[in-house]
Amino acid sequence: MHSPDARIPLLRRRAFLGQSGLSVGAAALSSLLGRDLAAAATPNPTAGLPNFPHFKPRAKRVIFLCMAGGPSHLETFDYKPKLDELDGKPMPESYTKGQPLAQLQGQALKVQGHLTKFQRHGKSGQLISDFLPWHGKMADDIAIIRSLVTEQINHDPAHTFMNTGTAISGRPSMGAWVNYGLGSLSENLPGFVVLTSTGGRDPQPIASRQWASGFLPSRYQGVEFNASGDPVHYVRNPAGISARQQSALVDAVKSLDRKRNALLENPEIDTRIAAYEMAFRMQTSVPELMDISNEPQSVLDLYGAKPGDGSFASNCLLARRLAERGVRFIHLYHRGWDHHGDLVKYMNVCCSHTDRPTWALLTDLKQRGMLDDTLIVWGGEFGRTPMFQGKGGPGRDHHIKGFSMWMAGGGVKGGASHGATDDLGYHAVQDIVHVRDLHATMLHQLGIDDMRFTVRHQGLDMRLTGVEKTRVVKEVLA
Amino acid sequence: MIRFTAILTCLAAMPAVAAPAPVEFNRDIRPILSDKCFFCHGPDATERKADLRLDTAAGATALLDGHAAIVPGQPEKSALIARITSTDEDEIMPPPESHKTLKPAEIDLLTRWVKEGGTYSAPWAYVAPRKHPEPAVKDTAWPANWVDRFVLSRLESEGLAPSPQTDRVTLIRRLSFDLTGLPPSSRAVEDFLAVPEDQFETAWAVLVDELLKSPRHGERLAAYWLDLVRYADTVGYHGDQNHNISPYRDRIVEALNANMPFDQFTREQLAGDLLPASTLDQKVASGYNRLLQTSHEGGVQAKEYLAIYAADRVRNVSNVWMGSTLGCAQCHDHKYDPYTARDFYSMAAFFADVDEVDHLISANGGPGAKKLKLNELPTERPPEIAVPDRLDRARFAELEATLVRQTAAGQAVNDTQTEIDAIKKRSRLSMIAVALAEPRITRVLPRGNWLDDSGEVVQPAVPGFLGKLDTGERRATRLDLANWFTDAKGGAGGLTARVFANRYWYLLFGEGLSRSLDDFGGQGEPPSHPELLDNLAVSYVESGWDTRALLQLLVTSRAYRQSSMVSLALRERDPENRLLARQARHRLPAEMMRDTALAVSGLLVLDAGGPSARPYQPDGYYKQLNFPKRKYAADSDASQWRRGLYVHWQRQYLHPMMKAMDAPSREECTAQRPRSNTPSAALVLLNDPTFVESARVLAARVVAEGGSSVAERIDFACREILSRPADGEERQLLEKLFTAARAEYHSDPAAAQALLGVGLKAAPANIDAAELASWTAVTRALLNLSETFTRN
Repeated sequence: MHSPDARIPLLRRRAFLGQSGLSVGAAALSSLLGRDLAAAATPNPTAGLPNFPHFKPRAKRVIFLCMAGGPSHLETFDYKPKLDELDGKPMPESYTKGQPLAQLQGQALKVQGHLTKFQRHGKSGQLISDFLPWHGKMADDIAIIRSLVTEQINHDPAHTFMNTGTAISGRPSMGAWVNYGLGSLSENLPGFVVLTSTGGRDPQPIASRQWASGFLPSRYQGVEFNASGDPVHYVRNPAGISARQQSALVDAVKSLDRKRNALLENPEIDTRIAAYEMAFRMQTSVPELMDISNEPQSVLDLYGAKPGDGSFASNCLLARRLAERGVRFIHLYHRGWDHHGDLVKYMNVCCSHTDRPTWALLTDLKQRGMLDDTLIVWGGEFGRTPMFQGKGGPGRDHHIKGFSMWMAGGGVKGGASHGATDDLGYHAVQDIVHVRDLHATMLHQLGIDDMRFTVRHQGLDMRLTGVEKTRVVKEVLA
Repeated sequence: MIRFTAILTCLAAMPAVAAPAPVEFNRDIRPILSDKCFFCHGPDATERKADLRLDTAAGATALLDGHAAIVPGQPEKSALIARITSTDEDEIMPPPESHKTLKPAEIDLLTRWVKEGGTYSAPWAYVAPRKHPEPAVKDTAWPANWVDRFVLSRLESEGLAPSPQTDRVTLIRRLSFDLTGLPPSSRAVEDFLAVPEDQFETAWAVLVDELLKSPRHGERLAAYWLDLVRYADTVGYHGDQNHNISPYRDRIVEALNANMPFDQFTREQLAGDLLPASTLDQKVASGYNRLLQTSHEGGVQAKEYLAIYAADRVRNVSNVWMGSTLGCAQCHDHKYDPYTARDFYSMAAFFADVDEVDHLISANGGPGAKKLKLNELPTERPPEIAVPDRLDRARFAELEATLVRQTAAGQAVNDTQTEIDAIKKRSRLSMIAVALAEPRITRVLPRGNWLDDSGEVVQPAVPGFLGKLDTGERRATRLDLANWFTDAKGGAGGLTARVFANRYWYLLFGEGLSRSLDDFGGQGEPPSHPELLDNLAVSYVESGWDTRALLQLLVTSRAYRQSSMVSLALRERDPENRLLARQARHRLPAEMMRDTALAVSGLLVLDAGGPSARPYQPDGYYKQLNFPKRKYAADSDASQWRRGLYVHWQRQYLHPMMKAMDAPSREECTAQRPRSNTPSAALVLLNDPTFVESARVLAARVVAEGGSSVAERIDFACREILSRPADGEERQLLEKLFTAARAEYHSDPAAAQALLGVGLKAAPANIDAAELASWTAVTRALLNLSETFTRN
């Protein structure tokens, strides 16, 4: 159990040693601060918890590709011949009786057959739909789970559930948890970065609670990087302030704070000075990071990225750049997957934005030898009904009882298939994977035992994975 | 080096810990049992293992298979002790898979406790507070009031002395921030420093009184209240549309400025609409019941969201008034406290009369749906009421009387009617509570599942172990609940008083006497000074819930006036300041940081109330919002410089400055904000136009009012911002910054002009642009200092 503010930042310890001029033995100092000195020896000011990771990690970082709105599993990874057989017929009531429905409440339910074809791909022979030709090329690199279940049927609570393990607002997002536990690997960038892309249609709103730090200290919250305008809020100097002047200002602030602190001995001031130093470095490092125009044309072409366009393709390239620079958790959102109607038309739109760049990201990481320690996760907040919904052309409603996601890299067994839904793709029936199992598996790859990763809040030991028992999906791990 | 030698000597001189005091159940034992044992052996019957419960004496001493977990006085015969000291993996408790382990010190405490008789006490928070005699102290000269006697007596028993009174600059800054949320003016500081030593006590009392009666005081307390009740200007879920609620916030400020007794305040919050002949103000206050997050995302299930709303209300009302986590009993009986799931739903039933179904029905169309403006700004969330502002209200009454008179006299009414209509038009709407004639049926939802209709139907009731409402056959209402919360004799008034006394302590001392501001249950931290907290609670009730008197008592204590400086020895002895041998030091809350920058520059606009203000905000910050798409237009008039309290609170995208400074999204009750120190916060102070504009406007004052020499001007800036002049080294550093900036701006006048163009306020034409920009370098530096934004 850790109390979220229990740790004294390294710099405080340094400050005690460095500034007091006091020759206290290491043991005395340790007891003085009530903390282990092992952590103090780490050269990183944003070190993780003591004794973390729990065991040898397979992945150092996570790239989570969130397809917001809920892509249809029945048009991506889950092929059900019977669905085509029953196309247009009434949905057998045995599947739907007593089940929650979203927009189809109170309507006659009929089966909607697949709106595309499926092919087998790669040596593994994974079944992947024709909407995703580039996914077909990486069939042997990804492990597809076809038996996900979640608990929330509307977008906002379902996202919150996927990201924080509960639908109750105010809990930390998984990126915040991971940085809190493992610490950051970058001195110049935040450990948890969020990118959202343009394109898609009628995009679902996304709340910043999706990357909040909840009851963890706010330094663990996700920082949103923007493709247009200032890449990070307030990262640009004010008008009329030169780089030289800003640097002189930061130096003066540090000197004045330090001087005052000689009197006050407030350890928080050292943290503050470190924060100013990082802020100042970010003023250079963030614009440099976000400027992809210095990438070779071949790399831009690989992704289909155009500098500054804010596309998913550019964000995938940025994800690789963030990964290279030590960012621990990179969360990409692409919106527009909420296909209540005209599913074919809008699947074509969404897949044209995301299919190739996703392949490019995986390929690029692989070429650079980074896929081995980067865990990639792909999926939405839920799937879509086997039943027809017709707002315009045929579409599907929200569905939580069975849907698909995939994982790759970071110790995942490429080409693996896991779990299954019933013969109409309604209920996950075989090797059911709950969202908390997905979280447990992610943490496991990062070397964390989810059961031992708790934080005291309002008298309870909170976990990302909640109170129920979890199961690491070992079947998809190499 | 001398200083540290002295500290070490003093460290060595400190008395060793005396023989161990008797074990106290609530202080020493309950936290261990609660954390390590109650999950399986606590109040929740469905999870209980081996039929053993350790949260009651009867359970712990009951014979199970011939053994009792606890045999009072005989640890060697107690199964509990045997199991926690066992080396057998199958025997040892807590079991290894729970990942809970007992420390040797905890095992020792439990063993001593059993040896001393193993007596249980009721949970501290649920024992009504009683008045304790004021303890004797050795240093009788120190205490200024009875609060000090409790603090000092504890310090003396620990062999410690209180810290000396802090310097006057720190004192007046501390008091100003704590009571008004603003720094003192340089004039106020000057006057306070000029008070002769022998008149200090009187001057302090006068200052306290002035600040408590300042209209800024209500705003400062309101900021805290709004965190508790999760006030925001937007609905929170999905499209996060604006909703009509700002008159509620303004009403809170007024009520706090009028020092409305907290029992009356509570009644108006929970049940303003149910009070006999309820006034417009009371109806607006009942908007408390509408502050939760709502949604009309297409496809919401009315039934599901009614369950979500009910749970939200129970979490908030129990957090705010009872400091309890009754919200945990949504799916199961509470794991650590005697709350049952039935208690949870019975509490929810109090709010089953709050009319709110329209927007849920309308979201999906269908029968009974009204045409509501849902995806518009503001969204329509009936029931709402038109609230004219103060001035209009008087005029409105006059006009209505005139209309009656004119009509009776057969005179023309056109002008009167036009003015009435105009007032109606400029009134703001506010969501209020309106009771349905037929409250919704409330059922216990098994495991919180709203699809499951098999649960028992419940009526409004307070948690069973805390008592019962005496309403006879009549269905209990929100008003009954409000009265129960503040009834110290027959209800939970003692608990409520303790919860709030503890929170006011937190506002003035940086931490609560119990640091669990929102969890007074078994998992919460028992208070460091239980008798003191008891007496504060009792005196709060006895004063007629006079909040101002309570605050006055606390800030006139010597404990409050102590220095926050801490020696190495004291830091080692009491790192978390639980003994109160010093005051606290912490960064200011977000609103106070904004207000400080605006106040010292002279930009701050002190208009109270009105629609929410919109400060400068980064472009495109709302790009992820939809239904409808959002364009943010910053205020282009004086509203730009209003206090942080009035800043538009967008739940999903709170203003990045507020967020960087740890202001909460107000999705849930926040009793205590985190205090972080992040690069994002540094970037705000360095580059946010509000802070840059404040710096350059203050720079104009420096040039106009700060004398003629560079040194004088630096001192002026320091006095305005830090309430003190610069010392030699600081002056040198700042002068260097100034000189370098001046060289730069003289060679680049366009840069100076660009800087002076940040923000709305026009730069004075009679001051040279390069001069002004160069002084801005100095004021910017000062507006980035830790000292500026630290309450010491």
